[in-house]
Amino acid sequence: MAAGFKTAEPLEYHRSFLKENCRPDGRELSEFRTTTLNIGSISTADGSALVKVGNTTIICGIKAELANPTVEAPGKGYIVPNVDLPPLCSSRFRPGPPGEQAQAASQFIADVIESSEVIQTEDLCIDRGKLCWVLYCDMMCLDYDGNVLDACIVALLAALKNTQLPEITINKETCSPELNLEKRHGLHIHKHPVATSFCIFDDSILIVDPTSEEESLATAELTVVTDEEDRLCSLHKPGGSSLTGEKLQECINRATVRQREIHKLIDKVIYSVKTAQ
Amino acid sequence: MFSTLMVRVGEVLLPGDEFSCETDDTISLTDHVKPEKVVCGPGLRRSGDRLVVCKSGVLRHKQPNVFWIDSQQRRYVPAKGETVIGIVTTKSGDIFKVDFGGSEQASLSYLAFEGATKRNRPNVQVGDLVFAQFIIANKDMEPELVCIDSSGRANGMGVFGGGGLLFRVSLGLVRRLLSPHSEIRSDLDQLFTCELVVGMNGRLWVRSSSVQQTLIIANLLQSCDTMTAPQRRELFRRVKQGAL
Amino acid sequence: MQLSTIPPRSYVISKSPSAAKQMTSSTLDRLLFLHGGGVMEVCGSSSVTLREFGCEQSLLSRPDGSASFIQGDTSVLAGVYGPAEVKVSKEIYDRATLEVLIQPKVGLPSVRERSQEQCVRETCEASLLLSLHPRSSLTLILQVLHDDGSLLSCFLNAACMALMDAGLPMSCLFCGVTCAIDTDGQIITDPTAAQEKESRALMTFAIDSTERRVLMSSTKGSFSVHELQQCIAVSQKASEKIFQFYRDSVRRRYSKTL
Repeated sequence: MAAGFKTAEPLEYHRSFLKENCRPDGRELSEFRTTTLNIGSISTADGSALVKVGNTTIICGIKAELANPTVEAPGKGYIVPNVDLPPLCSSRFRPGPPGEQAQAASQFIADVIESSEVIQTEDLCIDRGKLCWVLYCDMMCLDYDGNVLDACIVALLAALKNTQLPEITINKETCSPELNLEKRHGLHIHKHPVATSFCIFDDSILIVDPTSEEESLATAELTVVTDEEDRLCSLHKPGGSSLTGEKLQECINRATVRQREIHKLIDKVIYSVKTAQ
Repeated sequence: MFSTLMVRVGEVLLPGDEFSCETDDTISLTDHVKPEKVVCGPGLRRSGDRLVVCKSGVLRHKQPNVFWIDSQQRRYVPAKGETVIGIVTTKSGDIFKVDFGGSEQASLSYLAFEGATKRNRPNVQVGDLVFAQFIIANKDMEPELVCIDSSGRANGMGVFGGGGLLFRVSLGLVRRLLSPHSEIRSDLDQLFTCELVVGMNGRLWVRSSSVQQTLIIANLLQSCDTMTAPQRRELFRRVKQGAL
Repeated sequence: MQLSTIPPRSYVISKSPSAAKQMTSSTLDRLLFLHGGGVMEVCGSSSVTLREFGCEQSLLSRPDGSASFIQGDTSVLAGVYGPAEVKVSKEIYDRATLEVLIQPKVGLPSVRERSQEQCVRETCEASLLLSLHPRSSLTLILQVLHDDGSLLSCFLNAACMALMDAGLPMSCLFCGVTCAIDTDGQIITDPTAAQEKESRALMTFAIDSTERRVLMSSTKGSFSVHELQQCIAVSQKASEKIFQFYRDSVRRRYSKTL
């Protein structure tokens, strides 16, 4: 009976749960799914992390390459994020060039990196105007069950913390860079931005960490990114039903709590990796 | 609600403007209170106990209690009972497909012509113009046209004859042309004699004594869209002087 | 704190010289709304100033609705087609399919445009009554003519005017307001490209006309919660002016048929 109801009237099905202040998977309205983090899962990448938020799985790999800095910013390196939503992760995505959602997600991640200053791009400069690091951050979705943005940001942050860049020396005679792959050092992470996504149901009910089904039924989506100093790095609401100031404040409060949780989680995982070694 | 609407008749309203239903707090026991009813036309919607404007335009009123928004849109949305000029695009079995400028094509049965029977099919070819009326027009169904009225008479509808010129104007101008005492129509009557067919979908068809005159009429009507009444009269006066 | 004085509103209406000219080309009267002058400062709770803005509706003959919107030197042209026939693959059984295309001044649309398209589309979807035209398609094309800051808000304003011009049913109007916070913590509404570059944070909001709530938000740079709330309040105030301008501009358009 319940299965038939869910298929025939998905919106009514969700509403009947929301009326009781809970959700079909047993969560409360402001409860996240279990977040699992694994660091250094790809040995060939310079830094990597795998994140699971419920069923949503994102793997992030960071590849550092040497490049010439741009003319406009000779003293800066750059970071190129890319979000891939392959057909593998959900039937809603088709093969071919990235769709609107993947492109919008990539742009969002790029904006967050720039706004939060998670890494100062000056740190990536090796030789001013001549040589710098480019960090290619590829985030691949393995299983799509909603809320990819949150998972992407966690994966990215953990992977950046995991990244070990080889030491580089410039040969004075040949003017060519020499890599010392044995001696590596980590990146300096200035900020710890964490995203928290919400969905608005029926123009009024706020739920956190939506599943893909909830996303498709909701009237609006909202993502708040905060850092450890409680500053907002992004308030991304691409449209949908409107939001009052109080509700917005509620979202921001929830986001700051989430930031603490994730920050703690990342630190714990990094610590456990270190002690294991 | 009636009185608040009456006050704003003739004003330009925008989507999102609201009229709330104010109820008197005292109820008279002796007077016979007639419940006020308001009939909403295009551009007005009921939302709960309020009336919300959903199109930009001028609020109009017709006795006794009909209100609507007069807007200048270009795309036609079919409504039951409206007459339009359509172009026959395909003939398939028992029906013709007719393009009338809306979001999908309308169907027109070959039996929906005056005097048509299963044996005696009307002579309609692909590319012909038809003047027809909607009998089915709602958002959930395919629109359907007929070329007969309820008593089976053509009543002016049917396939167009040869000659003449078809052109497009805004839907607002079409409604102005069709209003009972249209100034534009009477101005035009004084200028030229012509045959004019007005489709509610913004298509006009004109035929007059010469090609030149037909073109002048078409140009005049198309320019009426962007002119005020004095500007139009001035233009018509000058054409009259030039043409005579 | 200094108080910016606002000169009385003035309208500049350029009329076509002769009626004969109007016969051949459908020149539409252009309405320019002058407000304040150039850059403005927010002075506590006093009024906000925006660059002068202008709008022209139904200036294109082919689309079902069109509008150009000018904010200072930023200018966007919008065209709307629909409700028209929809591709079977994009058909939605209970509402219209809205597609937004942003064309940059030079080159092809990139990832940035895609994300702006998403913002504009979802804002329009929230205000349009799409369920009144099921199984049909609406296409909104936004062409950048010149970018001098506050481009996303200009997109939103042009989109709203074009949708209104097309006569599509809407539950409310919306407008876009961009706020920049400069290094001194001052809030600048409707910044120019140079002001955007110098700013510490940049926020664009879409505000709805009925309840003045935030429909869309897109931000850059980091800021405190207090700054965010200030910016929303300033945008809500600025939206009043834009909605009044919408009204004046539409009134002007319908003045001939009154």
